Formats: sequence, structure tokens, C-alpha cells
Amino acid sequence: MFTVSGLNTRTMMNVNRIVALSKKSVQVGQRLLVCNSNPTGREVLRLQQRRSIRTHSRNLAYAKSLFLGQVNKAEVFPYPEVGNEEAEEIQQLVAPVEKFFAEEVDSARIDQEAKIPPETMNGLKELGLFGMQVPEEYGGLGLSNTVYARLAEITALDGSIAVTLAAHQAIGLKGILIAGNEAQKNKYLPKLASGEHIAAFCLTEPGSGSDAASIQTRATLSEDGTHYLINGSKIWISNGATADIMTVFARTEVVKDGVKADKISAFIVERAFGGVSSGKPEDKLGIRGSNTCEVAFDNVPVPVENVIGEVGGGFKVAMNILNSGRFSMGSSSAGMIKKLIELTSEYAATRKQFNRSLSEFGMIQEKFALMAVNAFVMESMAYLTAGMMDRPGLPDCSVEAAIVKIFSSEGGWICVSEALQVLGGLGYTKNYPFERYVRDCRILPIFEGTNEILRMYIALTGMQHAGKILTGKIKELKKGNIGVAFGMAGKRLKSAFGSSVDFGLTGKDGVVHPSLEESAKKFEQNVAFFGTTVESLLYRYGKSMVDEQLILKRVADVLINLYAMTAVLSRSSRSISIGARNHDHEVLLANTFCSDAYFKNNYLMTQLQKHSPENNDANIKKIAKEVLENRAYICSHPLERTF
Amino acid sequence: MKCVRCLLQLQSLRLLGQSTRCSAQYSSLLPSASSQPGLPHSTQQQVSRSFHSSSACSKSRPVPTDFLKDQDGKKDKSLVVQKDLFEEVAKDIKTKATFNKVVEVFTKRDVRRRGHVEFIYAALKKMPEFGVERDITVYNKLLDVFPKEVFVPRNFIQRMFNHYPRQQECGVQVLEQMENYGITPNVETKVLLVQIFGDRSHPMKKYQRIMYWFPRFKHTNPFPVPRQLPEDPVDLARFSLTRIANDLDAKVTVYQVPFTDVSESGEDITCPHIVGIQSPSQMELLAQHNPSRPVFVEGPFPLWLRNTCVYYYVLRADPTPEEKKEEPYDPERCFDYPLQLDIDLERDLGDDEEFDVEDLDEGPVYAMCMSGQGDQATLNQWISGLQQTNPILGQVPTLFRLDSGPRDLQGPAETESGPRHQTDTETHNQSREEVQDEEAEEPRRTQGMKQ
Repeated sequence: MFTVSGLNTRTMMNVNRIVALSKKSVQVGQRLLVCNSNPTGREVLRLQQRRSIRTHSRNLAYAKSLFLGQVNKAEVFPYPEVGNEEAEEIQQLVAPVEKFFAEEVDSARIDQEAKIPPETMNGLKELGLFGMQVPEEYGGLGLSNTVYARLAEITALDGSIAVTLAAHQAIGLKGILIAGNEAQKNKYLPKLASGEHIAAFCLTEPGSGSDAASIQTRATLSEDGTHYLINGSKIWISNGATADIMTVFARTEVVKDGVKADKISAFIVERAFGGVSSGKPEDKLGIRGSNTCEVAFDNVPVPVENVIGEVGGGFKVAMNILNSGRFSMGSSSAGMIKKLIELTSEYAATRKQFNRSLSEFGMIQEKFALMAVNAFVMESMAYLTAGMMDRPGLPDCSVEAAIVKIFSSEGGWICVSEALQVLGGLGYTKNYPFERYVRDCRILPIFEGTNEILRMYIALTGMQHAGKILTGKIKELKKGNIGVAFGMAGKRLKSAFGSSVDFGLTGKDGVVHPSLEESAKKFEQNVAFFGTTVESLLYRYGKSMVDEQLILKRVADVLINLYAMTAVLSRSSRSISIGARNHDHEVLLANTFCSDAYFKNNYLMTQLQKHSPENNDANIKKIAKEVLENRAYICSHPLERTF
Repeated sequence: MKCVRCLLQLQSLRLLGQSTRCSAQYSSLLPSASSQPGLPHSTQQQVSRSFHSSSACSKSRPVPTDFLKDQDGKKDKSLVVQKDLFEEVAKDIKTKATFNKVVEVFTKRDVRRRGHVEFIYAALKKMPEFGVERDITVYNKLLDVFPKEVFVPRNFIQRMFNHYPRQQECGVQVLEQMENYGITPNVETKVLLVQIFGDRSHPMKKYQRIMYWFPRFKHTNPFPVPRQLPEDPVDLARFSLTRIANDLDAKVTVYQVPFTDVSESGEDITCPHIVGIQSPSQMELLAQHNPSRPVFVEGPFPLWLRNTCVYYYVLRADPTPEEKKEEPYDPERCFDYPLQLDIDLERDLGDDEEFDVEDLDEGPVYAMCMSGQGDQATLNQWISGLQQTNPILGQVPTLFRLDSGPRDLQGPAETESGPRHQTDTETHNQSREEVQDEEAEEPRRTQGMKQ
């Protein structure tokens, strides 16, 4: 609120200064005109203003502001850095973990036996990997998000271990960490951090994925009011069979304003409470070494002090846990792809066909370029997001984290599959680890919120943000306010006549290095186009947009690309400026990705225009409808005859 | 154009001079057939039309009776001959084999195949009697009666004018009958037609038209009814109910298979079949039904499957007067994304692609059934069967609003369920009776469950 009103007064001043016209009816329109015409001057003002806000909280999220066609460059430029001490600490942490994974972990065996051997588990515990983000006072490593992401790069080399660790600390004990009280932390965290106890996160039920209303597990308060009795069953619980401590979500009766209502509450449940039983481990496609099973609760007595947060506040706890755990997938995927590049490039260089090595063939080269670009983008996004989350204050980076998750899970899948393709038939056999990577990788787009759901989250969160701010303007426009209409038309005309968009990324006070100027310009154009697209979508669909999933998907895709562009621009600018090793290669990667994403974005946003011939949505919906009505492929067989 | 005009003129001349007798003969033979040369002055138009228009047109054309009467004596002779052949050869057994035999007898009797046109017309008429009206091989055999290559035009003049019009028209008639019975000609038909009439003849054109449209129309009906309906009443009911419901989730339940039993007093008791269908969404609707409002068992309603008529009953309720209230939006419903946007903007008119559909005041249908008998006791058995999966039926008053049964709709084809319905409904003939006391009904229903 503060920002918006500040901005308004400022622009009004500008209006008065620049054009001395009579106010009132024209005011709104001019405000719009000015908004776009003088970005550099405004930026200075905003910086000052932001500094004053900083102390309270940072409510200027980066990704959300893109929906308004704005670039909050202070959020993402310069690229976040770690201090010297922290860098040294990372060095000390990374080396033994890398050594452990290279020498002690036998991924093929884990995959085959569908079990992580106890000695490997012990090794992981000794390295402190079970309490990476638990503060040091509770016996953990107390790592920042950035360092956590760095270690995730290495643990990702074995999918089963990565998932086991993530289920333990990214979601399993996160509830206690972020919403638990001091007593709960003191009681549970030390043992969890040391790995003596394993944690699990129990939310999903047979009839409930994202739908909180269909959670059936119920916690009823005992008559003496000292404990709850939990009944119900949860499915697909990672670490379900091994966990000693579980974060369980259950329905509780809450009396609010004299009305009884069912609300979700979060509980810390120890297996030792009794009544907890776990089913047979699921036989999975990939991540076979991690344990996934059903967990049933039969009258499990849970003391009232084990409620996380307050009774009935479980929904918020669950959402916060889910939103905070996602960002690390970016670095995990990047770590995996880097490893794959090493493995495949060796093969491509040595294998000969027609007296030429594979690496000389264009189609093979393309695959390596793809892997490199993807790894680079994922890395950039992951550490940018981690850095944003590490900044003081209570940052809301859930949209960014979701973006990272989507991009890295899908990119990871493509890269793994291409890496396998380089080896051809060999890659398909169990003699090489590629088939295992392909299987392990397939879970990424599914868990921690499927990519479809996260796309909805990204697009809707952004639309909500933009909608709040733009509603007034759009309403004026719909009422036929000439001023606003002229303002819009002017803006359109201006962009039509090729006046370049300038968010101040390049140029004199620019934050992007000149060698990336082209890419930065493309990014700026995309952002401006995105802003107008979002506005017209809001105008056209209003709140009924929730049901336009195909549109929301494109909006999310554009945003993902925009955030990825930001990340590579920011990262490579920094690399050039500090003279990082091989920074010219980074510039190459960044420019390649940006131009690629620029055209993809343009295409996506063209599809979002009204009456766009590129848009096939109506047909797509119709095809699906006809197929689903019959629940079968309904074409007649091409060999069928009618006469 | 010119060509056509010449053709018409010539044809009418020929008809006038040559064979008014013949055409008159078969016109009376096949009153519904296409070519019926009327009075001489109108002949030209009619004959030329007959190749291009359907038989339906010529059917409605008034046939001057006096003209036919005049010719009666003459034409009778050949007609009787052909009919007799069928009566002679196949006196009692009318099957495909005997039909074929008749055709064979005819072909063998005379090398010149004298009177083959008359024979074919007679055979066409006899086909349904022998039950071969849907048999492509029989039609081919019939076409085979025509002498080959005689009617094929040999020079351009013949080709230009209507060569052997009677024979051509007869060929067209064969194809026409095939068309009416929905029989697609095959390659053999084509070969025969080419051999008999040549490749640009009228029968050939008819053949091409049939071959153009038939394949295209073959799958136009998205809900085809099989030619052979299931014999078993339970199977028939199952088929009909799935057809009405058209819901892949709907589950058919056989509440009672038909059987005959001898009671203690020695009387035969026939228990009719009861087959019902209900989908999960119907169950859900029924579960939400307000127990204070009654549900109705209504029927019988007819359903035609080709020329069979079956009857079904529905369990329905009156349309609920109050508007369905929307579930209030719960912001804590979805863990992953907001289910609603909190924006005060509606969909723009230009993007509102919905259109108004007038809501009909028709209550929800909760289930359907078919039964061998339409009396209340039988239907009550169905309701008690339903109650096992829909416990709410125990609290809801059920009213029976049964019509006195199928009367005029019976139509020409007597169905399996038809006659029995007739008898059943006679017993409680009070049409649209309404039995309302649920207390009295409850125990009866439980009895039904025990059975």
C-alpha cells in the first residue's frame, strides 16, 4: 500500500512538472503515460523509497512485479554473493561430501536392492546431512539456503538419497523448524539433526492431494483435554517406514465465534506413541532406494503440546512447508546434469563412426549445448532464488521457488533423456547409469506439487497481484473513460512506432554488462509485452480466469522464461565484472538462452492475444472432450472399410 | 442439353408406339415402383423423370385407373406366369435356397430368358416373403438373370439414346430395392452391371450414386441399433437401459432374473425380470434429495429399437424449487494454489462465449428400470433393491404414478414385453393411481429385499 500511494504522489508531481495541463479528467491517462516514459528518474526515487521500507519487510517480490510489466531490478541485481568466510565454509563442507558420494555410495546397488544400506546412512549422518538447515544450537549445521542448495547439488547424484534427505528435512522436520515452539524444537530437533530420528511429512491421503477439504484423518480431543487421538491413513509417505517423528495433518474441531468448524491442524507424532503402522513399501519406477509407503494411524494419542502452531492453523503450516522446500531442486538438477555431461562427453569423444568421433556430429553437439544451457540456467535460477531467500526480512519467494522447481524438473528430464540418447543402445542397458537417472528423474515433475499445479500457483498468484492493482484502471476503461482509453492507446501507439522499452537495465546506470545488452533489451521488450498481455487478460477474463487453465499455463510459461532470463543476465553480468573463470562461455550461454526464450515468449504471448490464429485452444479442448466422452481413441482404424 | 432433349423425344415416341402394354403391366405389378407412364400426352415427362427421381415422387402421382383397367386383361397373363413359378417351385418352404432354385429354374428354362424383366420384378416383390431382402448374393443372382452384353450400346447413337430402357429401368429397380433395404452393392454387382448394361448406363449410374452415399452414411448414427436385438429379455433390457442412460459410469443391476415357480397351491407363478440402471452421479443426487419431498416411480415410457418397442420406468423427483446454493469459497481449501481470484472484475462481454440455455423444469432422474411386469409390486421390488445402495430411499416417500400401460403405441410389432404389459396393467387399471402412505409401504419393501 505504501509503495503504491508513494508512486502515485510522485507521478502526480511529475505530471505537474512536465506538462502543465488542466487536471481532473486527463489526470489518470497521463499518469499512465508518464509511468512508462521516465523509468530512470523514477528508479532513483524508488530506490530511496525502498530503502526506507527495507526495515519493515520486503513486499516487493520480483516475479510478481513482472506481471505489472515492472522490473524490480534491485531484487535481482547484482547477483547474490556469499561472503569469503562462507565460501571457505562451503569448500570445507563440499569436499568430504563429494568424496563420500564418489567412494562410498553405490547407486546401482541402492537401486537394485531398493534400500539404502545402513553403512551409507550412517555415513550421511556423520556428515551432518540430516540437519543441514537446523540451527547450530539444536545440533544442526545451520546452513543458509545458498549453502543448502550447494550441498543438494552433490546429494542429487543419487536420487534415492536425495529424496530421503529431502523428505526428512525439506518437509519432514520443516514444520517444527518454522512453526514449532521452543519446547518442541528443543525436544525434537537435536535428534532429528543428528539423524538418530528420521522425519516424515504426512499430508497426502487416498482421497486428498491438494484438496484440504477431503482430508479424512481426524484428531479428536480426549475427555481430559490432555491429548488428541488421531485416526486415519496417509499414503505415499516418503520415509514412511523408517520415520520416528512425523508431521501429521488432521482435521480438528475448532470453535470459532461460537460456530463449530473443521479445521486442519498439524501434529508432531512419534512412532513411539503407539498405534502407528506402515504398509508395504511401494515398488516404484525410480528413486527405488527411498522408502515410500502408506502410514496408518489408529487411535494414536498425541499430547496437546505437540500441536504445531495453533490448533486449526495447520493449513498455513502446510503451505509454508510446501512453498519453502522447492527451490533446491534447481541446484539438484543442475548437479545431476553437470555429472551427466562429464559422463557422456567422454563417450562422445572416444566413440568413432566413419573415422570421426561422435563429438564432431552436429546433432550430438546440439545435445551437449542443450545440456550446458539448461544446467547453466538452472544453476543461475537456483542460487538467485536461494540468495533472495537468504536476505534479511521475511521474503516471499514462493513464486520464484515454484518457477525454479518447474524449470529444473522439466529441463532435467529432457537433459537426462538426451544424455541417454548420446549413448544410444548402450544407454538403455543397466551397464550404464543413464537409465537409472532417467527413471529417478521422472519423479521430479510429479512430487513437491506437480508442475501443473505449480503453474496454476504461479499464474494465479501473479494475476491476483496484478489484478488488485489494475482493477480500478480496467473498470474505468470498461466504463468508457476517455482519459484512460487514450492513455492506453497512446502507450500502444508508442510501442507500435518502435520506441524501445527501457527499464534501465542497460545504458549509463545499467546493471547488465554491455556484452549482454542485446539480451537485456530482449528481456525488457518481453517484460513490457507481458505487462500489456496480463492487463488485457485481466480485462478480458476478470476473475473467471481461474477456469482458463490453458491461458494460465502460457502465462506461467512466459513468467518462467522471464525469470530464467533475469537469472542468467544477472549471473553472467556479475561473472564478467568480477572476472570469473570462463565468463565468456557464460555470456555465450546467456545470450543463446535469452534469444531462444525471447522468441518462445513472443510466440506464447501472441497466442494469448484475442483471435490469435496461433491459438488452438478451442480445438484442443474439443479433441479432449470428444476423447474423454468416449474414454477411448475414437478414430476408425485406417485399414477399416465402409463398403 | 440438346442430346437429352432428343433422347426424351425419341423415348416417348418409342413408348407410345411400341410398348405401352408392357409398361402398363409392370406398373400395376409394382404399384410403388417408379415408372408409370400415365396418359400418353404426359408420358414424355414421366419416363424421362423416372431415372432421376426417387420412387417416392412417382408413387404419389395419380395413376389413372381406367387406363389400368383397360390393360388388365392383357397384362395378367405374363404376371401370373411369373408368380406361378414362385408358387410352383416353393410351395411351402420359403427360404433362400428355394428362392435361388426358382431363379435357377427360370434361367435354365429358356436360353433367351424370355420375360426376364417381368420375372425380376416379380422376384423383387417376393424377396421379403422368402426373407432374402437383405442378401446381397441374391440380388446379384437376380441381376445375373439379365442376358449379358445384349443391352450394351455398341455405337455412339445407341449410347446417346436410351438403349433398352425397359431393361435398364428394371436394373435400376433392383438397385433401388437394395438401396431401400440398405444393402451396399459389391464388386460382383458392378461387374454384372457392366456386363449387362455397359459402363455408362443408367443402372451403372445408380450404382455409382449408391456407392457415393452409402459409405458416407454408414456411420452417421452415433447410436446404432444392431440389426439383431438380443433375444433374452434381460439382455435386451440391459442394452436398452445403457442406451438411454448413455453414461459410461452407469451400472446395470439385475434385481431379478425371470423364472417360473410352482407355488404351494400348485399355481404357476411367473416372476418377471427386473433390470435397473443407476450411475454414481445419480446416486449422489439421490443422496442429497430432501427426504421430506417424495420421489416418483413413473412409466411406462416407450423406447423403440428398430421395430421393437420396449418400456421403461424412471425414479424421479420434482424439480427443486429453491436455487442450488453455491458452496462458500474456502480460502483454506487448496494447499497449492488459490481456487479463486479475489478481483472485482467479471469476464468481458466480448469474451463471454456462453449462451443462454433455458432451463427446463424437469426434476432429476435418479434411476431407471425395465421389467417384465409393470405392476406396483414388481416395481416396489426394484425400489427395495435400489434401497440397498441408496439408503435414503428408506426415508423418502415413494409414489407410484403408473400409466395404464402401452396401448396405442404398441404398433405393428408385438414385443416380448408388450403383451405381458397389456395383461399386467389390466389388473390395476386405475390409471395414474397414487399410493401415498409410506408407512404401509415400508414393510412391503423390506419383504422384497428378503426375496
